[in-house]
Amino acid sequence: MLRKNKAYHLSILAMFIAVIIIQNFVPLFGYIPFGLLDLTTIHVTVVIAAIILGPKNGALIGGVWGLITFVRAFAAPTSPLAPLVFTNPVVSILPRILIGVVAGWTFIWLNKKIKQTPAMMLAAIAGTLVNTLLVLTLIYVFYRTPAVAQAYGTADVSRLGGLLLAVVGANGIPEAILAAVVAPLICTPLRRFQQRR
Amino acid sequence: MMNKLLFGRFIPGESFVHHLDPRNKLLMSFYYIGIIFLANNWSTYLCLFLFTLLAVYLSSIKMGFFIRGVRPLIWLILFTVLLQVFFTRGGKVFWSWGPIVLSQYGLVNGAYIFMRFVLIIFMSTLLTLTTPPLSLADAIEAILKPLRVVRFPVYEVALMLSIALRFVPTLMDETEKIMNAQRARGVDFGEGNLFQQMRAVVPLLIPLFVSSFNRAEDLAIAMEARGYQGGEGRSKYRILTWHYRDTFVVLAFIALTGILIWLRA
Repeated sequence: MLRKNKAYHLSILAMFIAVIIIQNFVPLFGYIPFGLLDLTTIHVTVVIAAIILGPKNGALIGGVWGLITFVRAFAAPTSPLAPLVFTNPVVSILPRILIGVVAGWTFIWLNKKIKQTPAMMLAAIAGTLVNTLLVLTLIYVFYRTPAVAQAYGTADVSRLGGLLLAVVGANGIPEAILAAVVAPLICTPLRRFQQRR
Repeated sequence: MMNKLLFGRFIPGESFVHHLDPRNKLLMSFYYIGIIFLANNWSTYLCLFLFTLLAVYLSSIKMGFFIRGVRPLIWLILFTVLLQVFFTRGGKVFWSWGPIVLSQYGLVNGAYIFMRFVLIIFMSTLLTLTTPPLSLADAIEAILKPLRVVRFPVYEVALMLSIALRFVPTLMDETEKIMNAQRARGVDFGEGNLFQQMRAVVPLLIPLFVSSFNRAEDLAIAMEARGYQGGEGRSKYRILTWHYRDTFVVLAFIALTGILIWLRA
């Protein structure tokens, strides 16, 4: 059923982008409030795109999410953490692009070896974990330098580091829970389209 | 529920800002966010504030819309400001308790960060309120055009963006419909513990994806039937024009940058 021509390719990607935009702006859909932080369900869309449309398109959809995160960090931040770290395009965009890449390739690689459903689950977990770990690593790399601390108005680097580590810990835990919970949920919509093909 | 949404809330008008070239508006908004980081004392912030007020005045949009843009974010802003206030050391110390310090520098920094947030939100709200989303997509296409040198598919990206923006309201309506349909069947959104809340999203996502796949297929067939063959060699219906007033705005921004650099301590 899925025809591989240019118009179809463009319009399916456009629909995914539209879904990402909607998830960003409809409350309770893309971000679920969880204490001070918001849990996101947007990476589900990116993983679905990566598994159905391949790693390259998954990377594109993830990149769109990253761009929206980046712009929102200035104009309409999603969490108290966002204006601190996501104003750096490397932290906001790169991990999101890699969700698509990693989830897509993991699925392609695993799909030959094990059954489809566990392959999807593992791909989803891998994609989400890459996002979390990369965000944490990049924060650690970028936000211990005095220059950045100065830009955020803190003269004392070690203070900023501790502050960010606390926020990061609070960010990492829900994202890890999410990775475990979301993976099986993704499989349901995916399987239907895989079978339609 | 979706009334709070400011994205794509274009308010038609005939003001100075409405008639500016969208490319100009987009670039200047980003430039504004850039130069806001130049500000580091009261006079520079006052200068930026007056400039922003002037821009808001020129758009002849009621101030209430801008306040409404800030309001849903106020807790977030306050939280960030408080973090800054209590974890910055320096200057006269007023009060301290363990690692928490209320100092002179902290208070000043907190006030600056508050101002920075409000100014950026005002400017980005101004951009979205005075520019229709499709003009923004055109502007992004025009700005990305130099990237064709490195084989970046500018036309494809621009078309994708236009389609996506066109279908955001359609899919949003559909999301709302699906949400209500699932509510009628007994799904609770935004209730229960975290796990239940996340599970509630699934009966929303699946039909939404199915319908967007169907829609994409229909759209692709309709596009091909109208002779779409790819981005190269097409002509344009909406053509952006650069007026004298756009040059004037660019000059105003350059002047602002100059003043900021001069006032910077």
